[in-house]
Amino acid sequence: MIQTASFPVTLVFPPQGHFTQPYLALPCLKAWLREHGFADVEVIDASVEAYDRFLTADYLARASARVPSLASFEGAQELRFEDMEAFRAAAESAASAASVIAGVEEAKRVLRGEDFYDPERYVPAVRTLYHGLRLVSAAHFPSQLTPHNFTMRYANDRSAEVLAATVDREENPFLEFYDSELLPRLDARPPRVLGLSVIYGSQLIPALTLGRLVKERFPDCHVTAGGGFLAYIGAKLMRAPGVDACLDSLVFHEGEAPLLGLCRALRDGGDLAEVGSLTWFDGGTPVENAPGHPIPLDRAPVPDFDGLPFDKYFSPETVLPFDINRGCYYGECTFCTLPTVIGPGYRTRRAETIVDHVIRLRDRHGARCFNFITDCMPPGMIADLPDELIRREANVRWWSDARIEPRAYTAEGARALYDSGCRKLLFGFETATPRLLKLMKKGQSVKSTLEVAENCSKAGISVTFYAMVGFPSETREEARATLDFLLAHSDVVREVSLQTFHLDEVAETYRDPAAFGIEVLDDPRADLQLYHDYVAASGMTAAEAAEAFDEMMAGFRANLPLFSGDNVLYFMQKSHYFLHLARDVHPDEFVRRCAERTNAREARGADPSLAPAEGLALVELPFSYADCVRTLGHPLARAVRPDFLTGSFVEGAREEAIASLGALAPARRVLAYANGEFVELRPDGRTALAALAAAGSLGELLAEAGSEAAEGLRAFAARLHRRGALTPRAAVPAAEFETQGVTS
Amino acid sequence: MTEPDKKKDGAKKEAAKDETAKPLAEKIGFAKLDLTVEEVEERISPRETNVFDK
Ligand code: SF4
Repeated sequence: MIQTASFPVTLVFPPQGHFTQPYLALPCLKAWLREHGFADVEVIDASVEAYDRFLTADYLARASARVPSLASFEGAQELRFEDMEAFRAAAESAASAASVIAGVEEAKRVLRGEDFYDPERYVPAVRTLYHGLRLVSAAHFPSQLTPHNFTMRYANDRSAEVLAATVDREENPFLEFYDSELLPRLDARPPRVLGLSVIYGSQLIPALTLGRLVKERFPDCHVTAGGGFLAYIGAKLMRAPGVDACLDSLVFHEGEAPLLGLCRALRDGGDLAEVGSLTWFDGGTPVENAPGHPIPLDRAPVPDFDGLPFDKYFSPETVLPFDINRGCYYGECTFCTLPTVIGPGYRTRRAETIVDHVIRLRDRHGARCFNFITDCMPPGMIADLPDELIRREANVRWWSDARIEPRAYTAEGARALYDSGCRKLLFGFETATPRLLKLMKKGQSVKSTLEVAENCSKAGISVTFYAMVGFPSETREEARATLDFLLAHSDVVREVSLQTFHLDEVAETYRDPAAFGIEVLDDPRADLQLYHDYVAASGMTAAEAAEAFDEMMAGFRANLPLFSGDNVLYFMQKSHYFLHLARDVHPDEFVRRCAERTNAREARGADPSLAPAEGLALVELPFSYADCVRTLGHPLARAVRPDFLTGSFVEGAREEAIASLGALAPARRVLAYANGEFVELRPDGRTALAALAAAGSLGELLAEAGSEAAEGLRAFAARLHRRGALTPRAAVPAAEFETQGVTS
Repeated sequence: MTEPDKKKDGAKKEAAKDETAKPLAEKIGFAKLDLTVEEVEERISPRETNVFDK
């Protein structure tokens, strides 16, 4: 085989994606290119690298210096709705920055090592990372980077706004990251092709930002992009004016064949018009090539993860993704967009090939944990894969998505899955209402769904259900029935991944709206529109569905131990709950521990040894932070931010929120921060805390304070104990207990 | 320091001593403090999790 060493290709996973494990697409592409003669292919996970850089003491110290101070709010007659987000950011930063900066390296160490498995260390560590990212966000206000999303003031569905975001140095944190980290690295090995993998909407702006910088810096480099999100909006994006400053071409659907064709054409001076599934610019005009053929999946090489920064993921063990098939063999669900992502058709690898690859990855990377990527596993594979994993003694632990297949997930089938290392399965349950299941064409009954879940659960596999609220015509009562059903079976269904229905351009609900009793609304200004508003003839409106979502989520939080209190952090960080299961902790045992933690926290009382928590910070505020957070949590206020999934703004939401939610009157308050949690006090509360610090412990303070005050002080201390501001540890010397803030 | 000044200073110290000597309860008046604690809803929301990554 001819190896082309002089044709460097760089494949980048741009921010923002999960920070707990690598993604699969680029390692697949790298392996395919290398197998076909392109020896010099580098894969960069810029998402985890950005997180890792942002979450350092140095970076956070610089970020915190950029956050506007609380002083600008002093003396104001009112806190207007428009200023609330800025106030919240300033208050949180003032209270938490010092402690977050001091604790961030330790937090990362905890997540990457054995301490991960100790919830008393894990939860504060994750919280520290969340607060660190709030500092990063506050420094780029009003942009928001969380472990789960990245949004700016710009709408994701309007190309002019997206392009403006790519050059906004004040608010786009990735410009500085690329300039100082990524581009110097590319200087050392200038790529001829840069490939960007855009799976989520949250990656769109960061990907185009990088594309623009690379095109400016390396004029000879061809910048292309692909991935799930671009499969939806790519055609529109390529028609948007000015996008050719960021991209030279775009690959649709499965990337292997088009990327190889593109690299060959560029290396050999071939014709780009010949590359299947590619859209490219011919003198500034987008040209859409005909679709190419998908690759024979079973002959695809083992994904090549070499060079990815395994030590940077925020998990103690790397969970490697591996795709057992592509496309969905069922493909009927009327809301589903997944078949669009990978292209039409369904292809699978044979069980022997899968296990062969898994063993090779296991041996190469010392990996024991796998996330099998599949839209759903076909019945035959549900039987063959465990057999083969057991026969070859793969001895791995794995989790994956799955479709309800009652004939495959029998009691015996589920036991074989467990024996093969399966520890968690996520099923598309959607709803407990048969009428809606029919409308969704799910091809499953509530009864069979429950049977499958029970069989898996009995075998020791943790079951997660995907559920949906707000499908056209769904009533509030039907949503409640789904909630009731899930809660009634919480001994079987451990986690629920709840989504609100979105009307998506590539789903049947959009193509045939009359069949679902909806009228689609278009927004002519949203030239990258993927999701549409609609009017439904019956059932809940989108706003009512959002309310039903909140009600259901509150029900899960109150009743599912894994969702209670801060245990929900395990659910939210991809694979983190699974990593416990992968150590053969039984789901019952994990759930028991979660419930025990929540109860123990609730039971925290006025222990006489209570003293201010280490690092407790107090900041004086001119307005109530609690009221501000409550106001910003109102559905009207949430609508002002870009939607989590769609990245678009609700028309007129800001004006409506301003009119309805009003302003806050001044109020002297004290914000306390310790152990990753905020709690708000009156100024008197600070006086009491200072006295407590001076006394040394609650017991000593109570002895001095007199019986009249005892009850109030005990209640005060117990509440602060529950929120981590007081701890029953050794007292902090009074001299170290300082109050910061604008007026003290 | 002049004699009257010394006296004044002495008086001040005396007053401070008195203040320290007072029981803490009297000094701070704990029973009258507003010890309201507002628990702020955590801004960690399971609403925001990317689930599909193909
Ligand atoms: S929802 Fe799942 S089963 Fe239904 S078509 Fe989509 S991928 Fe297939």
